[in-house]
Amino acid sequence: MNAFVLILVPAAIILLIWSTLKDKEKTKESLNVAKGMGKNVGGEIFALLLLVALFFTLIPESTIEYLLGSNKFFLSLLAGAGLGTVLILPKFVAIPMAADLIKSGAYTVVAAGFLTTLTMVGFATAPVEVEHFGKKYTLIRNGLSFVFAIIIALGMMVILSYLP
Amino acid sequence: MDVKQYLKDNKILVVTLIIYLIVLIVDQNMFMETLDTAWIYIKEMLQVLPAVLIFTGLLEVWVPREKIMKTFGSDSGLLGKLASFGLGTVSAGPIYAGFPIAQSLLKKGASVANVTILLSTWAVAKIPILLVELQFLGWAFAVARWSLTLPAILAIGYLTGKLVDKEEILSEIGEEETIVKEIWEILPGHNCGSCGYDNCKECAKAIADGEAEPDACDPCGEESGEKIAELMEETDE
Repeated sequence: MNAFVLILVPAAIILLIWSTLKDKEKTKESLNVAKGMGKNVGGEIFALLLLVALFFTLIPESTIEYLLGSNKFFLSLLAGAGLGTVLILPKFVAIPMAADLIKSGAYTVVAAGFLTTLTMVGFATAPVEVEHFGKKYTLIRNGLSFVFAIIIALGMMVILSYLP
Repeated sequence: MDVKQYLKDNKILVVTLIIYLIVLIVDQNMFMETLDTAWIYIKEMLQVLPAVLIFTGLLEVWVPREKIMKTFGSDSGLLGKLASFGLGTVSAGPIYAGFPIAQSLLKKGASVANVTILLSTWAVAKIPILLVELQFLGWAFAVARWSLTLPAILAIGYLTGKLVDKEEILSEIGEEETIVKEIWEILPGHNCGSCGYDNCKECAKAIADGEAEPDACDPCGEESGEKIAELMEETDE
């Protein structure tokens, strides 16, 4: 499904082997660093994913379609952006979903706003982001991303009207 | 393993599992559906996170601070933007997979702006996304979105860099820059105060900032003083 994942894991393994051959001590240290980070972050991400999955299941698909497919432009744009903020979805799930929404009548730019906030803004990922970068950074980055997501969606409306 | 301590440290996980248990008791169907969805997310995490963590570990240990500052630091200019963007664009996984590596780069000298560009690109402008996007949403959509998103990413990076100080981030997450940590590791850790500072960590920070001499620690002995001086030299711009 995701070609880069297929490259990522072998690449990591190859680098690891190269590192081991070059300097065993350093390699051990890298693995320790990785393990430390993993322990720190893994449990929390795991829990967050479980919560988002629950949230996503609780919101029936019909509600999403209703919110995003409504013909009230600004309402659905905000709803899309809002929904994207609190959800995280794998891209290969989100993009076909967006395509379906457009097919069933949602505004294209609403789908765009949804996709952008889905990936760039994260309620669900916020706790982990705070742990990595602190509250101020998390608030500012997510806030700016949200605002720009809306700007991008509106801008797309203009550009798309000029494209076939 | 101390169970009580583990539960305290992983409050979110515990609460989540309890909620899941409740769902299981109340509505088996919803529980199964939730598991299915959760599995999709978790599979993705398992595919991506370990590899990224390995990359980050290798980066932390192998790539000298100097190189990172040159490529991603606040003086790296266009190179920094391109490097951050380039790295994000060939990444895999959701944004949270990028956090460890971004933090590592930040601690090693990357600028806040560039790290933000990396994360934003990682989130929304990856090549794998482009491919799926072209397939399902068409080239017009992709062109429109990317032509606006790329400048937006630059803007978000620039603004975030202006609004958030790296020092603030580092102090908030309780980390010192790697150089301080490395100096601190050379110091004996007695916290004896003979260097004039409260403890070894303060001393390490002072040395890193240039306020104290590399051999400020008397009990360390000459060798440590030399080691620290060497460390300072190879990381000085």
